Amino acid sequence: MSDLFVGEFGLRPAVEADLAAIMTVEHECFGNDAWSEANMHLELVAHHTFYWVATAQLDEGTERVVAYAGLSKLPGGEQSDVQTIAVAPEFRGRGLGRRLMNRLIAEARRREATDMFLEVRADNPVAQALYASLGFETIDRRRAYYQPDGVDAIVMRAPLEPINSQPVVLGIESSCDETGVGIVRGTTLLANVISSSMEEHARYGGVVPEIAARAHLEALQPTIHSALAEAGLTFADVDAIAVANGPGLAGALMVGVGAAKALAAALDKPIYAVNHLVGHVGVDILERGEVKSPTIALLVSGGHTSLLLVNDLLDDVQLLGETIDDAAGEAFDKIARIMGLKYPGGPEIDRVAASGDPKAVRFPRGLTLPKDMAKHRYDFSFSGLKTAVARHIEVTENTQQAALSDQQTADIAASFREAVVDVLISKAVAACLDHNVPRLLLGGGVIANARLRALAAERCAANGIELRVPAFKLCTDNGAMIAALGAQLVMHGRQASDLDFGVDSTLPVTTVQS
Amino acid sequence: MTLNLLVIDTSAGTSIAILRGSDVLGEVNVADTKLHAESIGTAIAQALVLAGLKGSEIQAVVVGRGPAPFTGLRVGIAAGTVFAQAVGARLFGAVSLDALAWAALQDPELAAKVSTRTPLLITSDARRSEVFWALYTGLSSNGVPMRTDLPAVNKPAALDELLIDRNVDAVRLDAHTEVTGPATSQSFEGAAIGTALGRVAQALLVEGELGHDTSALYLRAPDAVLPKPHARYGKAEYSKPVLAGGGSTSNSDGGSTASANEVGGAE
Repeated sequence: MSDLFVGEFGLRPAVEADLAAIMTVEHECFGNDAWSEANMHLELVAHHTFYWVATAQLDEGTERVVAYAGLSKLPGGEQSDVQTIAVAPEFRGRGLGRRLMNRLIAEARRREATDMFLEVRADNPVAQALYASLGFETIDRRRAYYQPDGVDAIVMRAPLEPINSQPVVLGIESSCDETGVGIVRGTTLLANVISSSMEEHARYGGVVPEIAARAHLEALQPTIHSALAEAGLTFADVDAIAVANGPGLAGALMVGVGAAKALAAALDKPIYAVNHLVGHVGVDILERGEVKSPTIALLVSGGHTSLLLVNDLLDDVQLLGETIDDAAGEAFDKIARIMGLKYPGGPEIDRVAASGDPKAVRFPRGLTLPKDMAKHRYDFSFSGLKTAVARHIEVTENTQQAALSDQQTADIAASFREAVVDVLISKAVAACLDHNVPRLLLGGGVIANARLRALAAERCAANGIELRVPAFKLCTDNGAMIAALGAQLVMHGRQASDLDFGVDSTLPVTTVQS
Repeated sequence: MTLNLLVIDTSAGTSIAILRGSDVLGEVNVADTKLHAESIGTAIAQALVLAGLKGSEIQAVVVGRGPAPFTGLRVGIAAGTVFAQAVGARLFGAVSLDALAWAALQDPELAAKVSTRTPLLITSDARRSEVFWALYTGLSSNGVPMRTDLPAVNKPAALDELLIDRNVDAVRLDAHTEVTGPATSQSFEGAAIGTALGRVAQALLVEGELGHDTSALYLRAPDAVLPKPHARYGKAEYSKPVLAGGGSTSNSDGGSTASANEVGGAE
């Protein structure tokens, strides 16, 4: 069934009964620096401290405390302090420290702290890097603070945003074959978990809508669970829900929408219905803090091939053009099948094309003739190309009375890929130049194609266009992009969506929020 | 039983009920069979308001598993599953047709007619000129509809033959009007079944038989036709080339949608 990308560690508030288990980890981690059991006991039961433990599931019904962290926040005070944080040695490098820190930050913000302080050993650069990545800055150094080792303490501080300026948003994406759940805090990515049903579609050579919808239903609950775990949060920390309600496969979208609405009703939180394609643009916020506008966005996947002009992410997104027949990813899948390659076709054609000559066969570039450019300047068409490739294979084999050689196959794959990529990037660059927009943002699963990225980089550099390619896990369909767009709507004071919105398989990009 | 029980069923319309013991605290029914995604959130929120409860006060959730047209059915199951997850409630599944049987058998006149030899046949529209159906021999002492088998899907004519083969003279009730059954059928309102499903769930809980399985009762495999093995245009068939090996290094393309001639309608 589903592949989840995080391990199963639980996070829960510490209870007095955890004392012995916590002390075991305390001794493993701090040796002669460890707190006494009596002190730790006082910490666990005090009213102004909040301790959390991370647990690993050992076998049926047995859990083991493998990490913990504690926060101090006096009622009425503005300051919060990280009392301690420890991860048992054999469980390090799995993100538990980050999850616990996110947990403490959420706790402190909920208790209206404006700052968070901590001390860290000067000889622990790994911990310092983690804290820096969470927004902590060094403000002081205490000489020989840690005894008996005589190690200095680095004092760090992070400002905490009030809840409404940095909302925690959980986003749900189910428009095609990926069940995505993402969590952001403002513009910061906290979790991005994807469960894909791709393998179930492989034998059909394309996404089967009913199979995708069935897979979403099974994957949603565990994917939400994993996303919260990855973020180190609970449902109580979520300020708003966001969900993609189109464009996409209607039956698939409905599963995500049904779940998102139930979440909103259960938690009594606002819900934001957002546009899937605009989400692909908005995801850049998670890497750059904003979407620089205006920008041209080229979104290429198995379901879409769209060229957008984004003047303002929330208020002014225009569709310049899109495919009039197959999506680019679909063309890769179909040609792969004709060539006897596996599904999905993109990575397979990329692999075979590696040793091929992209100039071996000059395949047609759809909608690039002058007469087409008048009417379809920014539109795409790949069906003619598909026919041309099939025809070329047929003629070649009939002429030589033999199947294609490895080299011929590689040349055809490379030439086909070049035709697709050339027309995609040519039209995207033309859109930038025509509209005097010096930025191009790429999105969608086909961005994984190495040749597409290389040609985009080359042509953008030649034309003085700044190219943005988000990390691959943010390019494919995912819930983080939906959460990021939802968070922007919250931060800009937009009203939540009415609870009775529907799904729209052809939702126009001009509708950013339904 | 004093659990605050939220019932969600989208096997026909959108039906939400909140029960506590014998009390119905809130009930919302939207009859339209094509507006599940639109209705589900408002219907749950309204039912909570009617019941005077917060989501966190719901202790158990029961979802209707159908059988029913898939697209709408999934909306309710997804909503119930995630609602229970969000508030930490226990999650259960129940068969939607059982709720129709339960409601019908509340009529003493009809219940008196139903027996092992004259079971109650509940049918509902399965589209494609087929019906979902199940047979019931009455209510148990706790009020659980006694179903003879798992629900099934058949053409009405095939179902008739099947009943003749079993030598069963059933009392027939159709949940929908789209499929017109034999002349002996009575019409039956199937949209507002949330409360009835809740009663079935409460009775099953008493018997220790209420299950945690919330999977949709599809009863049909997804309609998808495998592509032809060789889609080349030429007539000649040459042996396939052996391609250079090496693992794929790049990731998925996100997948394309199988074209219309390869994939039939979902339901």
